[in-house]
Amino acid sequence: MQIRPFIERLVRPQTTAYAHCDLPCGVYDPAQARIEAESVKACQTRYQDAANFHGANQTLEEYRGRAIAIKEQRADMVKHHLWVLWTDYFTAAHAEKFPELHQLFWTATKEAGAAKKSQDPAQGQKLLDAIAEIDRIFWETKKA
Amino acid sequence: MRTARWRPLLAALGGLAAGSALLGLSRRWLFPVAVAGESMTPAFEDGDYVLVRRGHPPRGDAATGLVVCVRGPEDRLLLKRIVGIPGDSLRIGDRVFVGGHPLLEPYVRGEAPAESFRGVRLLHDDEYVVLGDHRAASTDSRDFGPVRPEQIEGIAWLRYWPPERAGLVRREARRFAPPEGETAGESGDSPMEG
Repeated sequence: MQIRPFIERLVRPQTTAYAHCDLPCGVYDPAQARIEAESVKACQTRYQDAANFHGANQTLEEYRGRAIAIKEQRADMVKHHLWVLWTDYFTAAHAEKFPELHQLFWTATKEAGAAKKSQDPAQGQKLLDAIAEIDRIFWETKKA
Repeated sequence: MRTARWRPLLAALGGLAAGSALLGLSRRWLFPVAVAGESMTPAFEDGDYVLVRRGHPPRGDAATGLVVCVRGPEDRLLLKRIVGIPGDSLRIGDRVFVGGHPLLEPYVRGEAPAESFRGVRLLHDDEYVVLGDHRAASTDSRDFGPVRPEQIEGIAWLRYWPPERAGLVRREARRFAPPEGETAGESGDSPMEG
């Protein structure tokens, strides 16, 4: 028998005090970062395949220039959404339960930074993979 | 001789009665609550167990910074911190201003959404403003307005679970940010600055 859960059950109060937020906790959702990261990857894909995507009224260079500019903005949005999750949603208790959490955020935000320099969709996929890991932990914490 | 034989049993019964009486008495003064939610992080985490001292907050400045159990809307018991007391002229934006001066709130976590601005409010004799420390994720007086003293059912006194974070709950005495932290126009003293 595990002692700690046993003691916790013994001392568990009957009354709950809510330190809550009535706003939907959907204010926090890794989906925001994921959607921006999908845009980043799409910009990288379109940069590579600009010949097929650019319109008649713009040159290849103009189209690629736009792809880079939008990718830059979206990568910044990814960082923003990840930082909001990291600093406002996740707690010390979460980090204790998921010790890889800080490293994951470090990796994901680094990938978001790398996405600004890279036109390779494979790099964008790395960013999406890192966000997917954070997403998995996020929903684990919601089950608790 | 007969008394001696019964002495251990009597002592045990006496101990039990005294224990029960103490427990009963303590229930009159204290009640335990389980914290649910994350609006009071980092001071209180979801799943903390806390002993709450029954009673209303003290009058005056001694009430500021106390963490209290408040009977909120829908009869829910909430855990929040007293930020405004009767007589305060309070403005809540991305920071809290009392009488135009910004509070120093080391217990606050993350950024407060600036859209929570509700103008300046002069708190009446029976009005307290309670806020969650995690301002971006808290439903509190910004939403349901000030609370009356009779809604405040007790003051958080001791966290007893988890054991590694057990200890007395500290009151965060009210402090103001240094003058250079003032937002232009808040003090009203130097309209030329900023």
